Parts: sequence; structure tokens; C-alpha cells
Amino acid sequence: MTDRTPRVGAGDGDARRDELVAAALADDLSPSERVEFDELRAADPSIDAELASLGVVVGGLSSFGRWDDVAPSDRLRERVDAVGHVAEVPDQRGTDVPLDADVPRDPDVPRGAGTASDEASVTHIGPHVAAARSGRGRRPLLIAVAAAACLAIGAGGGVLLATPRDTVVAGPAGTLGAVEHVDFVGQPAGVDLDGDLVAHTWGTETVLSVDGLPTGSAFTVVVVGGDGREYESGAFLGSDVRVDCRLNAAVLRSDVASVEIRAADGHDIAVASVPPVAS
Amino acid sequence: MIAVMGRAGPVPGRAADRSPMSEGSSGLDVRAAFVEHGSSLLGFAVNALRDRALAEDCVQETFVRAWRARDSFDADRGSVRTWLFAIERRVVLDVYRARTRTPSVVPLEHAPDPVATVADPLERLGMAEGLARLSDDHRAAVVAVHLEGLSYREVSERTGVPVATLRTRVFHALRALRTHLDDQETTDD
Repeated sequence: MTDRTPRVGAGDGDARRDELVAAALADDLSPSERVEFDELRAADPSIDAELASLGVVVGGLSSFGRWDDVAPSDRLRERVDAVGHVAEVPDQRGTDVPLDADVPRDPDVPRGAGTASDEASVTHIGPHVAAARSGRGRRPLLIAVAAAACLAIGAGGGVLLATPRDTVVAGPAGTLGAVEHVDFVGQPAGVDLDGDLVAHTWGTETVLSVDGLPTGSAFTVVVVGGDGREYESGAFLGSDVRVDCRLNAAVLRSDVASVEIRAADGHDIAVASVPPVAS
Repeated sequence: MIAVMGRAGPVPGRAADRSPMSEGSSGLDVRAAFVEHGSSLLGFAVNALRDRALAEDCVQETFVRAWRARDSFDADRGSVRTWLFAIERRVVLDVYRARTRTPSVVPLEHAPDPVATVADPLERLGMAEGLARLSDDHRAAVVAVHLEGLSYREVSERTGVPVATLRTRVFHALRALRTHLDDQETTDD
């Protein structure tokens, strides 16, 4: 749509015509105005066409409900301010990919629609993360750091950072939307690693909180299916501050057997075995 | 001159005259764009989705996508405002469709407000966007008269704006909405 600007220099007659049309559409003409308007309509058949056209709009408005005037919160302003900084890293996902967690969300705002926004990301996430690799063969991983849905927690920045979302969904492993804790083993001494999984209709989300991995080193997260297939979930950089990540893999939770965090050379840093989903 | 589908943000000035690319073609000034258009963008999402948290996510997502696509923005083809709304339209539509597909169980106090019943949900999104893109004055007038059902006299008494001015604002607002909805239909085709 092109932003519209009314005609410049419309004469008084045009202005009166427009005024009366608006009044007629709201059934707001006085008796004398009604007479005046009828005379105008008789002289200018385009008025009836305009009434019909704008009447459709009025009809749409009548079923719209209410309009809420809103002002952006300071917190939203902070989140948007962070966009230019967080998204500075080279992007290998294209421009149509939602940053589900690349930039901070507001952890304090109740998510009225539950997982709606997460589900909404499916449309775009799919093609980018669905490149499941067959077999267990390791390869040096091309670290697409931009693909990491991660943020490092800096001093004073905690309120902005991606954290496991509040959830109201509970249930056994595989319950859609429920946060399921998983235990990672094998991580080097000094590495603090906390992980959760969230089952979605479109795949499996891994929620990580990591501290102690070498700053600047790249790591990938791979979700492994019960049949041994590997599903790339994303990558992140070690940081000298705690890193919170959310990464998504195009494999249903019921098909997941483990989650692995790997160094750039492909070696496992930590592995979490995942219990099967009860059928 | 009155900009009907114009800049409704809180910052005065002529956005169209100021390049959004403060750092050249690759430099979207996110902060300035948000200050100028964030309120309208949020208004669109909130009134389309009736979910404040989700709407804020949509606005954030819009700026993320804009930032990533900043090299493709061409000021000769349209304003940054038009560009941001086009991005947000896709974001909101994705969210809307996903929410429609996936019912979620949430406590009653977290349940989003029901969306008004309309024949075509896309029409509602189009109307929400159109209203959001109106200037504050024009939107206020059309909302008061056609959503709240006030008479022009009542609105005039409430706002101090003459009836004739209110009517003219509503007329141009309706025209702009008509054009917006027509453009959307053309795009959808």
C-alpha cells in the first residue's frame, strides 16, 4: 500500500461533498444536510459510487470490534535496540528466517497464546534446519554462528536474554509445549551445562544454558534420532559469560534418542540421552 | 496537506525526507525507525492478534528481518514505513495462521481476547494494518465514529475538534482504507 495523501487544493465544494459523504456513511446528516446532500447526489453521480465503495469499508469496520491504542514499552524498545547488535554476525539463513531467540525476548511478559509464536516460526524454520544428515559419520562442521539462537549474558543484561520460556504445559516426555529436563554427561571439568527439550508439532527445541566453554570456540548442537539420523539444530560460540540458547531441529520429539553438543572438529563435548516417548 | 496514511509515530518530522539508511545502503537505523514507526507497527500487531506479548514479538521479528534484509531496501520503491509494514504483514500472518492451526491450552487468565468474528480473517488483518497506518488523528476519528459508534457531535465535544474537520478526516481515512484493502486484494491475487 502506498501511504495516501489527500488531494491538495481541493475546493470548498469538494470539501463539503467529502464532509457530507462522511456524515451520510455514519447516518449523521441533519435534515437540512440531507436535502443538500440529495441535491449534490443528483448533480454528481460519482457520489453514489463513492458511498457504495466506502460503505464496504464501513461494513468491515463494524465487525472489527474495538481498537486498542498501544505504546511500545521500554522493554520492547530495548529488545529492538538489540537487533542491530545481535544480528551483526554474518547471516547464513537468509532474510526470511525468524530469529526465534537470536534476539532477546521479554521473559516477564506472559505469553498469552502459549507457544503460538514458536509455532509460527515453523513456516520459515523448516527449510533451513530440515537438512537432516544421514548416518553417524562425523565431519568437520561448518559453524554457522549466526544460526545459533543464543545470547551471552552480560552484566546487567539478564532481563533481555532468552531464557526458557514460562510454560503452563506439563506432562510426560513428548507432551507438546512441556519443558523436559535432560541431563548432559561427558562435559569437560569446569563446564556447567543445563538442558531442556520442548516438543513441538514441528520438531524439537533444545534449550541450553552453558557456562565454561572456551570463549570464541564454536559448538554445534545435533539432535540424533532413534534411527541414528542426525538433525542439525544450530551452533553457538563459547563465551566468558553464561550463554542461553534455544535451538530447533526438524525431528519430532518421539523420534529423538539423544542430543549432542560437539566441538568444531566434530567430537562430542556432551551428550544427553533422551528417554523414549510413551506411545 | 494532511497525511492520512502517514507517519503516526511520536517523532515529528518528515521521515520520507530522511534516509532510513543512516549508514548508507547497508545501514538501517533501527532505533530511529522504531521510534518513528514502532507505535504503529505495534498497533497493527496488537489489534490483529489481540495478544500484547505476541504482538511485541512480531514487532521485534519485523525489525530483525528488516535488519537482515537491509541491503535490499530501496528508498526509491517506497518508504521505510511501507517496507516495515510489508515485513510485519508477513510476520503477523504467519503467527495468525500458526495460531489457527495449533490450539494451545492455557489458563483462563492468560487466554488472549477473542478476535471479533468476521467472514474473512485476512480481511481483519488487512483492516488492522490499514487502521494502524492511518495518522493518529485520522484513526482516532474513524475509530470513534465507526468502531465506538459515537456521533460526530459527541466526538467533537470530547476532543474539541470541529465536526466538519472530523468528518473530513473520516472521509479521507475511509478512502485510504479502501485503497489499502484494494491494494491487498491485488497483492493477494
